[in-house]
Amino acid sequence: MTAVTYLEAISQAIREEMRRDESVFLLGEDVGTYGGAFKVSAGFLEEFGPERVIDTPMSETAIIGSAVGAALMGMRPIAEMQYIDFITCGFDQIVNMACKMYWRSGIPLPLVIRGPAGGGTHGGPFHSASPEAWFFHTPGIKVVMPATTYDAKGLLKAAIRDNNPVLYLEHKLLYRLPELREELPSEDYIVPLGKAIIRRRGRHMTMLTYGAMVHQCLKAAEQLASEDGLAVEVVDLRSLTPLDRQTIKESVMRTNKVLIVHEDTLTGGVGAELAALLAEELFDYLDGPIMRVAAPDAPYPYAPPLEMAYLPGVERIVAVARQLAAY
Amino acid sequence: MPTPVKFPRLGESVAEGTVAAWLKREGDYVEKDEALAEVVTDKVNAELPSPVAGRLVKILVPADQTVPVGTAIALVEEEGAGAEVAEEARAGQSESGSVAAAQPAPVGEQVTSAAAVQRGTSALSVAAEAVTAEPHDGQQPGERQRISPLARRLAREHGIDLNEIKGTGVGGRVRKEDILAYLEQRQLGEQTIQAPAAAAVTLQPGPASTAGVSTAAGAARGPEPVAVGPDEEVVVPDRMRLAIAEHMVRSKRTAPHATTVVEVDMTAIARWLERNKEEFKRREGYSISYVPFVMKAVCEGIRKVPLINSSWTEDNRIIVKKRIHLGVAVATDSGLVVPTIHDADQYTIAGLARRLNEVAQRARSNRLTVQDLQGSTFVVNNPGTFGTILSVPIINQPHAAILSMDAVVKRPVVTEDDAIAIRYMMYLCLSFDHRILDGAGAATFLQAVRAKLQSYGPEIDVY
Repeated sequence: MTAVTYLEAISQAIREEMRRDESVFLLGEDVGTYGGAFKVSAGFLEEFGPERVIDTPMSETAIIGSAVGAALMGMRPIAEMQYIDFITCGFDQIVNMACKMYWRSGIPLPLVIRGPAGGGTHGGPFHSASPEAWFFHTPGIKVVMPATTYDAKGLLKAAIRDNNPVLYLEHKLLYRLPELREELPSEDYIVPLGKAIIRRRGRHMTMLTYGAMVHQCLKAAEQLASEDGLAVEVVDLRSLTPLDRQTIKESVMRTNKVLIVHEDTLTGGVGAELAALLAEELFDYLDGPIMRVAAPDAPYPYAPPLEMAYLPGVERIVAVARQLAAY
Repeated sequence: MPTPVKFPRLGESVAEGTVAAWLKREGDYVEKDEALAEVVTDKVNAELPSPVAGRLVKILVPADQTVPVGTAIALVEEEGAGAEVAEEARAGQSESGSVAAAQPAPVGEQVTSAAAVQRGTSALSVAAEAVTAEPHDGQQPGERQRISPLARRLAREHGIDLNEIKGTGVGGRVRKEDILAYLEQRQLGEQTIQAPAAAAVTLQPGPASTAGVSTAAGAARGPEPVAVGPDEEVVVPDRMRLAIAEHMVRSKRTAPHATTVVEVDMTAIARWLERNKEEFKRREGYSISYVPFVMKAVCEGIRKVPLINSSWTEDNRIIVKKRIHLGVAVATDSGLVVPTIHDADQYTIAGLARRLNEVAQRARSNRLTVQDLQGSTFVVNNPGTFGTILSVPIINQPHAAILSMDAVVKRPVVTEDDAIAIRYMMYLCLSFDHRILDGAGAATFLQAVRAKLQSYGPEIDVY
């Protein structure tokens, strides 16, 4: 058995689910003949045929709209956004159709919308987005963001089997990262939605994070341990909706200090909700302000040095963590 | 379990100190009370005795490192006990993801979670009310204004006055670590230092009162930048100077000072000293001055006015101390220290001279012990050595008063029979806490001291 990349884990998950359940099918721009912009679905057309691997016109409204319709008819579509930035074109189909369907009709809507998100690949303002906060705010859709290869496969399988609309955000910087190569279990497995995981244990503060920032936080925690003797706990949320409040709260009750790190912009981001939740429910357990490290309130820049400055990195996380630890 | 050796509290306002040198190495055997290390604080350099006999198994704080008072700096394994040293377990690594084949989530789940959110919210509002309604019991006027919610909760749970804790956070903020360390210290700490006067020690207010810490810490850590003119020079005060500054500010702010002065005819004592000083030193090996005479008289004064030997507590009580432990101000090269002569009233004048000599020697050679700096109940100050004739001293908190003896000088004095005579005169200045005493009480005390000092004839039995 060989170690696979984050990207290959995603590909494996879709392929295995399509083999397992005939109602699962894939649709999106270039997913067929071309094998997907990032080659997630390479070879799928040959294996599953054009009825289950559908090349669509360049219209996210159409892709998501068709997927919603197919799900209503009992299928389990996986709609790929070539870059997640363009999910905004299908926003109405998600927010007004997919998210409200169960409330309106009582009919389950098993739909997965997936696509590459996140910066660091010099994609500029139209090919880098972190759109999670828009959907995190919207009731009726689950939002998932894996950080590791194991989770990428397990969470996607869980998402495909879920009877609700799930937005599955892949961080494209992680797609082929050599250090994320991992040997995956040969047997079928899922990672349940709504369960966070503690990636590193510590007692001085909790870092709440998800996606690619998990790795930045782990590096920062390592540096803080060796240079400052600080034991930092890193919690990978994995699912933003449903949010694993239990794990978050238990960690904060142990460490009493919280640093929230996300790649998305600061204002109104997921971190704001986490901060509000902790302030409301764990006020008596806080030994310092709830602090956040996030991107500035601006679109992703194109220029590589600017993008480097824009993305939260180890240096900034360490600096803010020190400030919080000393508080 | 090894016995932790804590950094001792050396002096009233000392909150931290430095391990200057280790006198023993790991693995060495130490007797109980044998010196383990040299420690330096704002107030004093001292040797740290081992609390138990045994083997020094672990040095936790290396030399030259500064730590808060109460920090465990070494572990001594008592004889017969196991030798292993408990190490704190470090952070574990992450758990691995589970391979559970979970069921697809039911469609109705979101409804359930929405209900849960609502329940959570109502529970929250209740909790919020509870927090708001929490009375700020025991909050002192000088209490830190910004305290983290956790610190407040822990303080409430453990019945701690946060003013007693020195914070190590930004701006002296009390953090979780500080409270946990304090609790640990409270459990173990008292065993380390055998205070000779338990009552006196327990009555001393916390070393790190709000004002004190913030003043000292602020001055030490983040001094305001000052503009220096061409004809000016900046001197950065050392730790001892800062500590004295802080303590004086606190004392002056805590107690409303009033000062009253009497004039004492010291002629008999002066003549006795002129005749006997050399002989006394030759015979006893230490010198004698006016100070032990005044100390003896002060003890008598305290017997007449016990209220002068007391403390005003934060909950507005007056604690009168039954034992008389006189602090004596000693000027050293590095600054002023006030070692204690415990049970001063139990000594003869010669005995006081001897004890005075001992502590002064130790103070000047940086050999004062922990006990030397603890438990004083009243201070005798002697600026007269430097030729002053009138002083207004500041009370050494938490005392009720302080006495300054100024220079004994020859002056023409009108005597009882209206003659003018040359007499050896001295002013005694008493600063007292006007919360505890009024002028009458202070004057009664001074009269008693004066009466004693003037009671001597040509022959004085100092033994």
